[in-house]
Amino acid sequence: MSYYRSLFKDETKLDINYIPYALPHRESELRLLKEFFSFALQSPEKMTQRVIITGDVGTGKTALSQRFGAEITHEAAKRSVNLYYVHVNCREYRGSLFLILQHAVSVFHPNFPKRGYSAEELLGMLMQMLDEEKAHIILTLDEFESLVENEGNEAVYKITRLPETRPDKPQRLSLICIMRELKVIERLDASTRSSLQSNIIGLQKYSKKQLVDILATRADLAFKPSAVPEDTLEMIAENAFSENGNARFGIELLWRAGKYANADEQYTVTAECVRKAVSSIVPAMRRSDLESLSLNEKLFLLGVARIFKQNKNASVTLAEAERTYAIVCEEFNTSPVSHTQLWKYLRGLTGSGILKAEVIATGTRGRSTIVSLPRIPASELEKELDNLLENEKT
Amino acid sequence: MELEDIFSSRLRMKTLKLLDKMHELNVSEIAHRLGVNYGVATKHLKVLEEEGIIQHKMFGRICLYRLNENSLKTKAIQNLIDVWEHANKQKTAAP
Repeated sequence: MSYYRSLFKDETKLDINYIPYALPHRESELRLLKEFFSFALQSPEKMTQRVIITGDVGTGKTALSQRFGAEITHEAAKRSVNLYYVHVNCREYRGSLFLILQHAVSVFHPNFPKRGYSAEELLGMLMQMLDEEKAHIILTLDEFESLVENEGNEAVYKITRLPETRPDKPQRLSLICIMRELKVIERLDASTRSSLQSNIIGLQKYSKKQLVDILATRADLAFKPSAVPEDTLEMIAENAFSENGNARFGIELLWRAGKYANADEQYTVTAECVRKAVSSIVPAMRRSDLESLSLNEKLFLLGVARIFKQNKNASVTLAEAERTYAIVCEEFNTSPVSHTQLWKYLRGLTGSGILKAEVIATGTRGRSTIVSLPRIPASELEKELDNLLENEKT
Repeated sequence: MELEDIFSSRLRMKTLKLLDKMHELNVSEIAHRLGVNYGVATKHLKVLEEEGIIQHKMFGRICLYRLNENSLKTKAIQNLIDVWEHANKQKTAAP
Protein backbone atom coordinates (compact mmCIF):
# COMPACT_ATOMS: atom_id res chain seq x y z
CA MET A 1 0.00 0.00 0.00
CA SER A 2 1.43 3.38 -0.94
CA TYR A 3 0.88 6.54 1.03
CA TYR A 4 0.32 9.86 -0.71
CA ARG A 5 3.26 12.12 -0.10
CA SER A 6 2.97 15.72 -1.19
CA LEU A 7 5.69 18.31 -1.58
CA PHE A 8 3.10 21.00 -0.85
CA LYS A 9 2.63 22.40 2.59
CA ASP A 10 -0.23 24.68 1.56
CA GLU A 11 -0.87 24.98 -2.16
CA THR A 12 -3.57 27.63 -1.65
CA LYS A 13 -0.68 30.07 -1.20
CA LEU A 14 -0.14 29.76 -4.96
CA ASP A 15 -3.78 30.41 -5.80
CA ILE A 16 -4.56 33.46 -7.90
CA ASN A 17 -6.91 34.76 -5.19
CA TYR A 18 -4.37 34.53 -2.36
CA ILE A 19 -3.26 37.93 -1.11
CA PRO A 20 0.30 37.60 0.22
CA TYR A 21 1.31 39.45 3.38
CA ALA A 22 4.59 40.48 1.81
CA LEU A 23 4.83 41.94 -1.68
CA PRO A 24 8.52 41.76 -2.60
CA HIS A 25 9.66 44.69 -4.74
CA ARG A 26 6.36 46.54 -4.37
CA GLU A 27 7.00 47.93 -0.90
CA SER A 28 7.47 51.55 -2.00
CA GLU A 29 4.33 51.48 -4.17
CA LEU A 30 2.34 50.11 -1.22
CA ARG A 31 3.66 52.92 0.98
CA LEU A 32 2.71 55.48 -1.67
CA LEU A 33 -0.80 54.07 -1.96
CA LYS A 34 -1.21 54.24 1.83
CA GLU A 35 0.05 57.81 1.73
CA PHE A 36 -2.56 58.78 -0.88
CA PHE A 37 -5.31 57.38 1.34
CA SER A 38 -3.98 58.43 4.75
CA PHE A 39 -6.89 60.93 4.98
CA ALA A 40 -9.34 57.98 5.05
CA LEU A 41 -8.08 57.05 8.50
CA GLN A 42 -7.98 60.59 9.83
CA SER A 43 -10.85 62.53 8.28
CA PRO A 44 -12.66 60.28 5.83
CA GLU A 45 -15.69 62.55 5.46
CA LYS A 46 -13.68 65.58 4.43
CA MET A 47 -12.18 64.40 1.18
CA THR A 48 -12.07 61.74 -1.45
CA GLN A 49 -9.27 60.37 -3.59
CA ARG A 50 -8.76 58.91 -7.06
CA VAL A 51 -5.69 56.83 -7.87
CA ILE A 52 -4.67 55.02 -11.02
CA ILE A 53 -2.49 51.90 -10.91
CA THR A 54 -0.97 50.86 -14.25
CA GLY A 55 1.31 48.05 -15.29
CA ASP A 56 1.55 45.07 -17.58
CA VAL A 57 0.00 41.66 -16.89
CA GLY A 58 1.54 40.03 -13.82
CA THR A 59 3.25 43.14 -12.46
CA GLY A 60 1.30 42.93 -9.18
CA LYS A 61 -1.43 45.55 -9.71
CA THR A 62 -4.25 43.48 -8.20
CA ALA A 63 -2.09 42.06 -5.40
CA LEU A 64 -0.85 45.55 -4.50
CA SER A 65 -4.34 46.97 -4.36
CA GLN A 66 -5.79 44.07 -2.39
CA ARG A 67 -2.90 44.08 0.10
CA PHE A 68 -3.50 47.80 0.56
CA GLY A 69 -7.24 47.14 1.01
CA ALA A 70 -6.61 44.50 3.67
CA GLU A 71 -4.19 46.72 5.57
CA ILE A 72 -6.20 49.92 5.48
CA THR A 73 -9.44 48.24 6.57
CA HIS A 74 -7.56 46.51 9.40
CA GLU A 75 -6.11 49.83 10.52
CA ALA A 76 -9.52 51.52 10.18
CA ALA A 77 -11.14 48.86 12.38
CA LYS A 78 -8.50 49.46 15.05
CA ARG A 79 -9.32 53.18 14.99
CA SER A 80 -13.12 52.59 14.84
CA VAL A 81 -13.31 54.25 11.41
CA ASN A 82 -16.12 52.88 9.25
CA LEU A 83 -14.11 52.21 6.10
CA TYR A 84 -14.85 49.63 3.41
CA TYR A 85 -12.56 48.41 0.65
CA VAL A 86 -14.46 46.87 -2.28
CA HIS A 87 -12.51 45.31 -5.15
CA VAL A 88 -14.44 44.75 -8.37
CA ASN A 89 -13.08 43.24 -11.55
CA CYS A 90 -14.93 45.21 -14.23
CA ARG A 91 -14.48 42.47 -16.83
CA GLU A 92 -16.23 39.95 -14.58
CA TYR A 93 -19.19 42.33 -14.57
CA ARG A 94 -19.03 42.76 -18.36
CA GLY A 95 -17.86 46.37 -17.93
CA SER A 96 -21.35 47.38 -16.79
CA LEU A 97 -21.51 50.25 -14.30
CA PHE A 98 -24.89 48.96 -13.15
CA LEU A 99 -23.50 45.50 -12.25
CA ILE A 100 -20.38 46.99 -10.67
CA LEU A 101 -22.46 49.25 -8.43
CA GLN A 102 -24.77 46.38 -7.63
CA HIS A 103 -21.79 44.47 -6.31
CA ALA A 104 -20.85 47.45 -4.13
CA VAL A 105 -24.44 47.75 -2.85
CA SER A 106 -24.54 44.03 -2.03
CA VAL A 107 -21.79 44.65 0.56
CA PHE A 108 -24.34 46.62 2.60
CA HIS A 109 -27.55 44.89 1.52
CA PRO A 110 -26.87 41.37 0.21
CA ASN A 111 -30.49 40.80 -0.86
CA PHE A 112 -30.95 44.09 -2.64
CA PRO A 113 -33.21 43.54 -5.70
CA LYS A 114 -31.38 43.05 -8.98
CA ARG A 115 -33.82 44.91 -11.22
CA GLY A 116 -36.06 47.92 -11.32
CA TYR A 117 -33.73 50.93 -11.36
CA SER A 118 -30.97 52.56 -13.41
CA ALA A 119 -27.24 52.74 -12.74
CA GLU A 120 -27.64 56.41 -11.83
CA GLU A 121 -30.38 55.62 -9.28
CA LEU A 122 -28.23 52.82 -7.92
CA LEU A 123 -25.34 55.22 -7.40
CA GLY A 124 -27.71 57.46 -5.43
CA MET A 125 -28.85 54.48 -3.36
CA LEU A 126 -25.23 53.52 -2.64
CA MET A 127 -24.55 57.05 -1.43
CA GLN A 128 -27.65 56.92 0.78
CA MET A 129 -26.42 53.64 2.30
CA LEU A 130 -22.98 55.14 2.93
CA ASP A 131 -24.54 58.24 4.49
CA GLU A 132 -26.72 56.11 6.78
CA GLU A 133 -23.78 53.96 7.84
CA LYS A 134 -21.50 57.03 8.05
CA ALA A 135 -19.06 54.99 5.99
CA HIS A 136 -16.37 55.70 3.42
CA ILE A 137 -15.79 53.24 0.61
CA ILE A 138 -12.64 52.74 -1.46
CA LEU A 139 -13.97 51.19 -4.65
CA THR A 140 -11.30 49.52 -6.77
CA LEU A 141 -12.19 49.12 -10.42
CA ASP A 142 -9.83 46.42 -11.65
CA GLU A 143 -9.53 45.98 -15.44
CA PHE A 144 -10.88 49.50 -15.78
CA GLU A 145 -10.47 49.17 -19.58
CA SER A 146 -13.57 47.02 -19.63
CA LEU A 147 -15.72 49.75 -18.05
CA VAL A 148 -14.41 52.40 -20.47
CA GLU A 149 -14.91 50.09 -23.47
CA ASN A 150 -18.44 49.16 -22.48
CA GLU A 151 -19.83 52.36 -21.00
CA GLY A 152 -17.64 55.08 -22.45
CA ASN A 153 -17.23 58.51 -20.98
CA GLU A 154 -20.53 59.05 -19.22
CA ALA A 155 -20.34 56.24 -16.67
CA VAL A 156 -16.80 57.11 -15.69
CA TYR A 157 -17.80 60.77 -15.46
CA LYS A 158 -20.67 59.89 -13.10
CA ILE A 159 -18.46 58.16 -10.56
CA THR A 160 -15.39 60.35 -10.82
CA ARG A 161 -17.29 63.64 -10.54
CA LEU A 162 -19.57 62.42 -7.77
CA PRO A 163 -17.92 64.53 -5.02
CA GLU A 164 -18.78 67.70 -6.96
CA THR A 165 -22.46 66.76 -7.10
CA ARG A 166 -22.70 66.75 -3.30
CA PRO A 167 -20.50 69.66 -2.20
CA ASP A 168 -22.03 70.22 1.25
CA LYS A 169 -22.29 66.58 2.20
CA PRO A 170 -19.66 64.27 3.71
CA GLN A 171 -17.41 62.59 1.14
CA ARG A 172 -18.04 58.89 0.86
CA LEU A 173 -16.54 57.34 -2.28
CA SER A 174 -12.88 57.06 -3.32
CA LEU A 175 -11.64 55.23 -6.38
CA ILE A 176 -8.68 53.12 -7.41
CA CYS A 177 -8.67 52.42 -11.14
CA ILE A 178 -6.44 49.58 -12.31
CA MET A 179 -5.46 49.38 -15.97
CA ARG A 180 -2.65 48.04 -18.10
CA GLU A 181 -1.97 51.22 -20.04
CA LEU A 182 -2.79 54.85 -19.44
CA LYS A 183 -3.88 55.28 -23.03
CA VAL A 184 -7.21 53.69 -22.03
CA ILE A 185 -8.28 56.97 -20.48
CA GLU A 186 -7.38 58.95 -23.59
CA ARG A 187 -10.84 58.04 -24.80
CA LEU A 188 -12.41 59.99 -21.96
CA ASP A 189 -13.18 63.68 -22.19
CA ALA A 190 -10.76 66.22 -20.77
CA SER A 191 -12.60 66.92 -17.50
CA THR A 192 -13.07 63.24 -16.64
CA ARG A 193 -9.45 62.58 -17.49
CA SER A 194 -8.21 65.42 -15.36
CA SER A 195 -10.17 64.17 -12.35
CA LEU A 196 -8.57 60.76 -12.69
CA GLN A 197 -5.04 61.50 -13.68
CA SER A 198 -3.70 63.26 -10.64
CA ASN A 199 -2.27 60.25 -8.81
CA ILE A 200 -0.66 57.53 -10.89
CA ILE A 201 1.30 54.54 -9.63
CA GLY A 202 3.10 52.83 -12.51
CA LEU A 203 4.35 49.31 -11.89
CA GLN A 204 7.43 48.35 -13.86
CA LYS A 205 8.00 44.90 -15.30
CA TYR A 206 9.79 42.62 -12.78
CA SER A 207 13.41 41.74 -13.45
CA LYS A 208 14.49 38.10 -13.39
CA LYS A 209 16.10 38.58 -9.98
CA GLN A 210 12.92 40.14 -8.60
CA LEU A 211 10.91 37.23 -9.99
CA VAL A 212 13.23 34.80 -8.20
CA ASP A 213 12.57 36.66 -4.92
CA ILE A 214 8.81 36.59 -5.46
CA LEU A 215 8.83 32.88 -6.34
CA ALA A 216 11.10 32.06 -3.39
CA THR A 217 8.70 33.84 -1.01
CA ARG A 218 5.72 31.93 -2.37
CA ALA A 219 7.63 28.63 -2.45
CA ASP A 220 8.44 29.04 1.25
CA LEU A 221 4.75 29.47 2.00
CA ALA A 222 3.43 26.75 -0.30
CA PHE A 223 6.04 23.97 -0.22
CA LYS A 224 7.73 21.89 2.45
CA PRO A 225 11.30 22.93 3.29
CA SER A 226 13.87 22.24 0.54
CA ALA A 227 11.20 21.00 -1.87
CA VAL A 228 12.02 23.61 -4.50
CA PRO A 229 15.75 23.86 -5.32
CA GLU A 230 17.23 27.22 -6.18
CA ASP A 231 17.94 26.36 -9.81
CA THR A 232 14.31 25.31 -10.28
CA LEU A 233 13.22 28.74 -9.02
CA GLU A 234 15.72 30.35 -11.39
CA MET A 235 14.32 28.35 -14.27
CA ILE A 236 10.73 29.30 -13.48
CA ALA A 237 11.78 32.94 -13.10
CA GLU A 238 13.48 32.76 -16.49
CA ASN A 239 10.25 31.50 -18.04
CA ALA A 240 8.19 34.17 -16.30
CA PHE A 241 10.66 36.83 -17.39
CA SER A 242 10.38 35.73 -21.01
CA GLU A 243 6.59 36.00 -20.59
CA ASN A 244 7.04 39.75 -20.16
CA GLY A 245 8.05 39.59 -16.50
CA ASN A 246 4.70 38.05 -15.59
CA ALA A 247 4.86 37.02 -11.91
CA ARG A 248 1.41 35.46 -12.06
CA PHE A 249 2.59 33.16 -14.85
CA GLY A 250 5.62 32.23 -12.74
CA ILE A 251 3.48 31.44 -9.68
CA GLU A 252 1.14 29.30 -11.76
CA LEU A 253 4.14 27.53 -13.26
CA LEU A 254 5.51 26.86 -9.77
CA TRP A 255 2.21 25.32 -8.71
CA ARG A 256 1.96 23.20 -11.84
CA ALA A 257 5.57 22.03 -11.56
CA GLY A 258 4.78 21.01 -7.96
CA LYS A 259 1.84 18.97 -9.21
CA TYR A 260 4.05 17.17 -11.77
CA ALA A 261 6.64 16.54 -9.05
CA ASN A 262 3.97 14.95 -6.83
CA ALA A 263 2.58 12.89 -9.70
CA ASP A 264 6.09 11.61 -10.54
CA GLU A 265 6.75 10.90 -6.83
CA GLN A 266 9.81 13.18 -6.83
CA TYR A 267 11.48 14.37 -3.65
CA THR A 268 11.96 17.86 -5.06
CA VAL A 269 10.46 19.97 -7.84
CA THR A 270 12.98 19.25 -10.60
CA ALA A 271 13.79 21.12 -13.80
CA GLU A 272 12.00 18.37 -15.74
CA CYS A 273 8.81 19.06 -13.76
CA VAL A 274 9.08 22.70 -14.82
CA ARG A 275 9.49 21.70 -18.46
CA LYS A 276 6.39 19.50 -18.23
CA ALA A 277 4.52 22.39 -16.60
CA VAL A 278 5.58 24.82 -19.31
CA SER A 279 4.63 22.49 -22.11
CA SER A 280 1.22 21.96 -20.50
CA ILE A 281 0.60 25.72 -20.41
CA VAL A 282 2.07 26.74 -23.77
CA PRO A 283 2.38 24.52 -26.81
CA ALA A 284 6.18 24.58 -26.63
CA MET A 285 7.06 22.09 -29.29
CA ARG A 286 5.58 21.46 -32.68
CA ARG A 287 6.59 18.26 -34.40
CA SER A 288 7.19 20.21 -37.61
CA ASP A 289 9.82 22.33 -35.83
CA LEU A 290 11.81 19.18 -35.12
CA GLU A 291 11.22 17.65 -38.54
CA SER A 292 12.83 20.59 -40.27
CA LEU A 293 16.10 20.18 -38.33
CA SER A 294 19.16 18.64 -39.98
CA LEU A 295 20.36 15.17 -38.89
CA ASN A 296 23.19 16.60 -36.77
CA GLU A 297 20.91 19.15 -35.11
CA LYS A 298 18.56 16.32 -34.17
CA LEU A 299 21.45 14.26 -32.82
CA PHE A 300 22.75 17.17 -30.77
CA LEU A 301 19.28 17.82 -29.40
CA LEU A 302 18.84 14.13 -28.63
CA GLY A 303 22.07 14.25 -26.63
CA VAL A 304 20.82 17.27 -24.68
CA ALA A 305 17.46 15.56 -24.06
CA ARG A 306 19.21 12.47 -22.71
CA ILE A 307 21.38 14.54 -20.38
CA PHE A 308 18.37 16.29 -18.89
CA LYS A 309 16.38 13.09 -18.67
CA GLN A 310 19.05 11.57 -16.40
CA ASN A 311 20.20 14.76 -14.75
CA LYS A 312 18.02 16.80 -12.42
CA ASN A 313 19.98 20.01 -13.03
CA ALA A 314 18.41 22.85 -14.96
CA SER A 315 21.44 23.43 -17.19
CA VAL A 316 24.63 21.79 -18.51
CA THR A 317 27.80 23.12 -20.06
CA LEU A 318 28.13 23.08 -23.84
CA ALA A 319 31.24 20.92 -23.41
CA GLU A 320 29.19 18.25 -21.67
CA ALA A 321 26.46 18.50 -24.30
CA GLU A 322 29.11 18.15 -27.00
CA ARG A 323 30.51 14.98 -25.41
CA THR A 324 27.08 13.41 -25.26
CA TYR A 325 26.44 14.48 -28.86
CA ALA A 326 29.65 12.62 -29.89
CA ILE A 327 28.34 9.43 -28.25
CA VAL A 328 24.98 9.81 -30.00
CA CYS A 329 26.83 10.25 -33.32
CA GLU A 330 28.63 6.95 -32.70
CA GLU A 331 25.27 5.29 -32.07
CA PHE A 332 23.97 6.61 -35.39
CA ASN A 333 27.21 5.90 -37.22
CA THR A 334 27.76 9.55 -38.14
CA SER A 335 30.80 11.80 -37.80
CA PRO A 336 30.24 14.68 -35.39
CA VAL A 337 30.37 18.19 -36.83
CA SER A 338 33.02 20.71 -35.74
CA HIS A 339 32.68 22.79 -32.59
CA THR A 340 32.08 25.92 -34.69
CA GLN A 341 29.30 24.22 -36.62
CA LEU A 342 27.78 22.99 -33.38
CA TRP A 343 27.79 26.59 -32.15
CA LYS A 344 25.78 27.59 -35.21
CA TYR A 345 23.31 24.79 -34.53
CA LEU A 346 23.01 25.93 -30.94
CA ARG A 347 22.23 29.47 -32.09
CA GLY A 348 19.52 28.16 -34.41
CA LEU A 349 18.00 25.99 -31.67
CA THR A 350 17.98 28.87 -29.20
CA GLY A 351 16.47 31.14 -31.85
CA SER A 352 13.55 28.75 -32.27
CA GLY A 353 13.10 28.63 -28.48
CA ILE A 354 13.85 24.92 -28.10
CA LEU A 355 17.13 25.46 -26.23
CA LYS A 356 18.50 28.33 -24.25
CA ALA A 357 22.19 29.24 -24.16
CA GLU A 358 23.97 31.62 -21.86
CA VAL A 359 27.66 32.55 -21.69
CA ILE A 360 28.89 32.83 -18.11
CA ALA A 361 32.23 33.76 -16.58
CA THR A 362 33.99 30.84 -14.84
CA GLY A 363 36.52 32.44 -12.53
CA THR A 364 40.06 32.53 -13.86
CA ARG A 365 39.43 30.02 -16.61
CA GLY A 366 37.51 32.30 -18.93
CA ARG A 367 33.96 31.82 -20.10
CA SER A 368 31.68 28.87 -20.49
CA THR A 369 28.45 28.31 -22.38
CA ILE A 370 25.55 26.95 -20.38
CA VAL A 371 22.76 25.13 -22.21
CA SER A 372 19.28 24.60 -20.83
CA LEU A 373 16.01 23.13 -22.02
CA PRO A 374 13.50 25.69 -20.72
CA ARG A 375 10.17 24.51 -22.03
CA ILE A 376 10.02 20.98 -23.37
CA PRO A 377 10.11 17.95 -21.07
CA ALA A 378 13.31 16.03 -21.85
CA SER A 379 11.50 12.68 -21.96
CA GLU A 380 8.99 14.03 -24.47
CA LEU A 381 11.72 15.53 -26.64
CA GLU A 382 13.73 12.32 -26.60
CA LYS A 383 10.67 10.31 -27.64
CA GLU A 384 9.89 12.65 -30.52
CA LEU A 385 13.48 12.67 -31.75
CA ASP A 386 13.78 8.87 -31.48
CA ASN A 387 10.69 8.52 -33.66
CA LEU A 388 11.95 11.02 -36.23
CA LEU A 389 15.43 9.47 -36.39
CA GLU A 390 13.94 6.00 -36.69
CA ASN A 391 11.87 7.17 -39.67
CA GLU A 392 14.95 8.74 -41.27
CA LYS A 393 16.83 5.44 -40.97
CA THR A 394 14.10 3.51 -42.71
CA MET B 1 -53.41 43.07 18.04
CA GLU B 2 -53.51 39.79 19.91
CA LEU B 3 -50.92 37.02 19.64
CA GLU B 4 -53.41 34.71 17.90
CA ASP B 5 -54.01 37.34 15.20
CA ILE B 6 -50.38 37.03 14.16
CA PHE B 7 -50.00 33.29 14.66
CA SER B 8 -53.28 32.32 13.02
CA SER B 9 -52.16 33.66 9.66
CA ARG B 10 -50.06 31.20 7.71
CA LEU B 11 -48.77 33.95 5.39
CA ARG B 12 -47.77 36.23 8.24
CA MET B 13 -45.83 33.44 9.94
CA LYS B 14 -44.18 32.53 6.62
CA THR B 15 -43.22 36.18 6.10
CA LEU B 16 -41.63 36.34 9.55
CA LYS B 17 -39.72 33.10 8.97
CA LEU B 18 -38.57 34.41 5.60
CA LEU B 19 -37.30 37.71 7.00
CA ASP B 20 -35.65 35.91 9.89
CA LYS B 21 -33.76 33.76 7.38
CA MET B 22 -32.99 36.35 4.69
CA HIS B 23 -32.44 39.36 6.94
CA GLU B 24 -34.13 41.77 4.51
CA LEU B 25 -36.07 41.62 1.23
CA ASN B 26 -38.06 43.88 -1.05
CA VAL B 27 -41.84 43.46 -1.44
CA SER B 28 -41.78 41.78 -4.87
CA GLU B 29 -39.27 39.23 -3.67
CA ILE B 30 -41.32 38.48 -0.55
CA ALA B 31 -44.45 38.06 -2.69
CA HIS B 32 -42.55 35.80 -5.12
CA ARG B 33 -41.16 33.60 -2.36
CA LEU B 34 -44.52 33.31 -0.63
CA GLY B 35 -46.25 32.54 -3.93
CA VAL B 36 -48.77 35.38 -3.59
CA ASN B 37 -49.38 38.58 -5.52
CA TYR B 38 -47.89 41.95 -4.62
CA GLY B 39 -51.12 43.25 -3.06
CA VAL B 40 -51.52 40.30 -0.69
CA ALA B 41 -47.90 40.53 0.43
CA THR B 42 -48.22 44.29 1.01
CA LYS B 43 -51.34 43.81 3.12
CA HIS B 44 -49.65 41.35 5.49
CA LEU B 45 -46.45 43.41 5.64
CA LYS B 46 -48.47 46.43 6.63
CA VAL B 47 -50.15 44.54 9.49
CA LEU B 48 -46.80 43.29 10.79
CA GLU B 49 -45.27 46.75 10.50
CA GLU B 50 -48.15 48.41 12.35
CA GLU B 51 -47.55 45.93 15.15
CA GLY B 52 -43.88 47.04 15.24
CA ILE B 53 -42.61 43.56 14.43
CA ILE B 54 -41.05 44.55 11.11
CA GLN B 55 -39.83 47.83 9.61
CA HIS B 56 -39.04 49.14 6.17
CA LYS B 57 -36.42 51.38 4.60
CA MET B 58 -36.69 53.17 1.27
CA PHE B 59 -33.80 53.41 -1.18
CA GLY B 60 -35.15 55.47 -4.06
CA ARG B 61 -38.12 53.44 -5.25
CA ILE B 62 -36.93 50.27 -3.56
CA CYS B 63 -38.61 49.32 -0.28
CA LEU B 64 -36.72 46.80 1.87
CA TYR B 65 -38.41 45.06 4.81
CA ARG B 66 -36.62 43.54 7.76
CA LEU B 67 -37.42 42.39 11.30
CA ASN B 68 -37.45 45.20 13.84
CA GLU B 69 -34.53 44.16 16.04
CA ASN B 70 -35.55 46.68 18.72
CA SER B 71 -38.97 45.13 19.32
CA LEU B 72 -39.45 42.68 22.20
CA LYS B 73 -42.22 40.98 20.22
CA THR B 74 -39.78 40.41 17.34
CA LYS B 75 -37.18 38.97 19.71
CA ALA B 76 -39.80 36.57 21.12
CA ILE B 77 -40.81 35.47 17.62
CA GLN B 78 -37.17 35.01 16.55
CA ASN B 79 -36.57 32.93 19.65
CA LEU B 80 -39.65 30.81 18.92
CA ILE B 81 -38.51 30.20 15.33
CA ASP B 82 -35.00 29.23 16.50
CA VAL B 83 -36.23 26.80 19.17
CA TRP B 84 -38.86 25.31 16.86
CA GLU B 85 -36.41 24.69 14.01
CA HIS B 86 -33.74 23.32 16.32
CA ALA B 87 -36.26 20.87 17.78
CA ASN B 88 -37.34 19.83 14.28
CA LYS B 89 -33.73 19.17 13.29
CA GLN B 90 -33.17 17.04 16.39
CA LYS B 91 -36.32 15.08 15.63
CA THR B 92 -35.14 14.43 12.04
CA ALA B 93 -31.64 13.44 13.18
CA ALA B 94 -32.92 11.01 15.85
CA PRO B 95 -32.62 7.30 14.85
